[in-house]
Amino acid sequence: MIQNVLRDIGGIGLYGVISVCLFFLVFSVAVIRACLLKKSFVTAMSVLPLDDGQPVDRQKGVAHHE
Amino acid sequence: MNLETFKYDNRIVRAFTIATVIWGLVGFSAGLLIACQLFWPELNFNLQYTTFGRLRPLHTNAVIFAFVGNGMFMGIYYSLQRLCKARMFSDFLSWLNFWGWQAIIVSAAVTLPLGLTTSKEYAELEWPIDIAIAVVWVAFTVNLLGTILRRREKHIYVAIWFYIATAITVAVLHIVNSLAVPDSAFKSYSIYAGVQDALVQWWYGHNAVAFFLTTPYLGLMYYFLPKAADRPVFSYRLSIIHFWGLIFIYIWAGPHHLLYTALPDWAQSLGVVFSIMLIAPSWGGMLNGLLTLRGAWDKVRQDPMLKFMVVALTAYGMATLEGPMLAIKSVNSLSHYTDWTVAHVHTGALGWNGFFTFSMLYWLIPRLYQTRLWSIKLANWHFWIALLGMMFYAVPMYWAGVTQGLMWKQFTPEAFLQYPNFLETVLQLIPMYRLRAIGGTLYIIGAFVMAYNLWKTARSGVFQPEQEVQAAPVAKKTGSEPGKNPWGHRWLEGKPLLFTTLTLVAILIGGAVEIIPMYLIKSNVPTITSVQPYTPLEVLGRDIYIREGCVGCHSQMIRPFRSETERYGEYSKAGEFIYDHPFLWGSKRSGPDLQREGGKYPDAWHYNHMDDPRLTSPGSIMPRYSWLLTQKLDTNALPARIAALRKVGVPYPAGFEKGAAQKSLSTQASQVVANLKQGSVTNAPADTEIIALIAYLQRLGTDIKAMPASPAPAPKTAALNTVGETNN
Repeated sequence: MIQNVLRDIGGIGLYGVISVCLFFLVFSVAVIRACLLKKSFVTAMSVLPLDDGQPVDRQKGVAHHE
Repeated sequence: MNLETFKYDNRIVRAFTIATVIWGLVGFSAGLLIACQLFWPELNFNLQYTTFGRLRPLHTNAVIFAFVGNGMFMGIYYSLQRLCKARMFSDFLSWLNFWGWQAIIVSAAVTLPLGLTTSKEYAELEWPIDIAIAVVWVAFTVNLLGTILRRREKHIYVAIWFYIATAITVAVLHIVNSLAVPDSAFKSYSIYAGVQDALVQWWYGHNAVAFFLTTPYLGLMYYFLPKAADRPVFSYRLSIIHFWGLIFIYIWAGPHHLLYTALPDWAQSLGVVFSIMLIAPSWGGMLNGLLTLRGAWDKVRQDPMLKFMVVALTAYGMATLEGPMLAIKSVNSLSHYTDWTVAHVHTGALGWNGFFTFSMLYWLIPRLYQTRLWSIKLANWHFWIALLGMMFYAVPMYWAGVTQGLMWKQFTPEAFLQYPNFLETVLQLIPMYRLRAIGGTLYIIGAFVMAYNLWKTARSGVFQPEQEVQAAPVAKKTGSEPGKNPWGHRWLEGKPLLFTTLTLVAILIGGAVEIIPMYLIKSNVPTITSVQPYTPLEVLGRDIYIREGCVGCHSQMIRPFRSETERYGEYSKAGEFIYDHPFLWGSKRSGPDLQREGGKYPDAWHYNHMDDPRLTSPGSIMPRYSWLLTQKLDTNALPARIAALRKVGVPYPAGFEKGAAQKSLSTQASQVVANLKQGSVTNAPADTEIIALIAYLQRLGTDIKAMPASPAPAPKTAALNTVGETNN
């Protein structure tokens, strides 16, 4: 069907190649940057959800969830 | 350390939890009703407002945007404040988001049964509601980014990246796909036509799944799973790769919804390649979640919240493995248009989104009300009945899908279709449809049990409208720290606006590469000489077809397989759809394809069939459309519709709507009435909706038929004939 519509587009075969190359570029950069992160930073970031902030003392009786 | 005291807003979170539960029950119930209609067609009570065609979009919108949408906001409003150590940026925007979203949902619940629809899947709402969605979404995005900018936590946790990607991408998708020219307060025509409309729609449709049902929930997973398991995420590094890999790849995969259609091959290939690559980040994320529970599996046995979470992640893993498999062309040739797709999306919706939302609700409500869950036993009961319901839903639908696909393609040794009557393949599925309804019922019972349990939990506690906490503000910038890479990912995480821009660029690349060429080459598309714009009567008939949601069961896209060309006729060409605003290719065949319906049956057959499908097709599961036989055709709308269609590119001559269009309409309507009389239908008034619908159905696919003769020749006006010539 494509032949009916787009047979005259020059270099259309390159679209797939360029797209995959772009992806590998983005993916590689993400992997390299992730690997270069310091362990102390990674540890600090990964425990962030466990810290909701310090409960205020005057709120006696209020349950602290963690 | 200088600590600042501030309060988290729990009121907005509670509002979204209530909305999530209520809309979940509504959305599931609507799904059960339409599931039952597929084996019990009278269940629409012979009302036009409750047919499968009109309620299916109500079900999908209610589940996606009302249930999951509110669930997403619920989780984001809770977690964002705590991850940023800041109250939401603006309480006004929070409540604008809440009430605006509920108003949109109510508008959808009113307009869709009324037949006010664009017919584009998951984007059915008409243009005024689309504008409202854009406004509310901007309010949410500003509130999100404002909160991030006011945070007391230096770095932005990975969950927030997923929230940012969601906010930005959904805005882009919604705006691009919704572009339309209105002709009245609740009717518009897509600015795209045919193959271009299809590509934009499924770029949107696929990424609605990606960026509405997946990325926000992945963000929530990275927050709520560590909270529930009381341990950090398995690998923060993996979460970074997961994020960038996922958002970059997802946006390209849309064309896998259009394999073997008239979409250009290069776009299909891109969709396939990127869909298969999607397995990597998807499974990376799923494993990151499951491995977070390493050493904590004993908790899963005791905590119903974690049970739901584990099944949600498992369903996510299954759905994200199955999705790429379905994107392989040979698999897709069997699965597409069948119930296999329905099973696939429900694995995601019931398992991933449903179970994850239940998990969040069980975790949040006791904390908002400072109490314990009222009954862990009931929650466990909910878990097992919902799991059983999901199994009873999915297994029969997979069975139905494969059965359907194989029956469509089955040939006799003499090379004839084994099941030439489409209805045979439908009736074979009825037992599976019944089992599916049992599964849905079990799932809904579980949801009602949850609602009761949560209500009792709330009653047993005291709501905490605000949670007062302290945190240190972010230290002022004092230059780059010694020994640190100033351009590394740490630096990027401290720049939310730059981060947002990079996310936008990542998702725009995929969309642009796929969509822009479709427009750049528009002038090179050789139109088919004989393909002409619809006549005025056909335009109104097509609008009725759209209004009734016929596209929910009937495709208009014949794939180039012998099994399809034998059954339906010549395969579909891109050039046939250049005046289709919107395209109506469909995605599921509960009824046969209608692309070559024109001339297949006499007009009287269509008349009787719409009055009662079981008169002409015994055993048919299609509802009656008897109101079409009496409802007057709204010819007053014609001039505005012709003018709007001209604006989107249909070459009607200038001034055509001022007289000539009405004349053409009357002439063609009289011809249809005359044809009906020949078929012994003597009481059909020319000004009823059925006449317009018959005219449209008889036009379908006839433009390229080699033999011009047809039982109901559609008269063309002289003006329209000249249009065809100008397109050569």
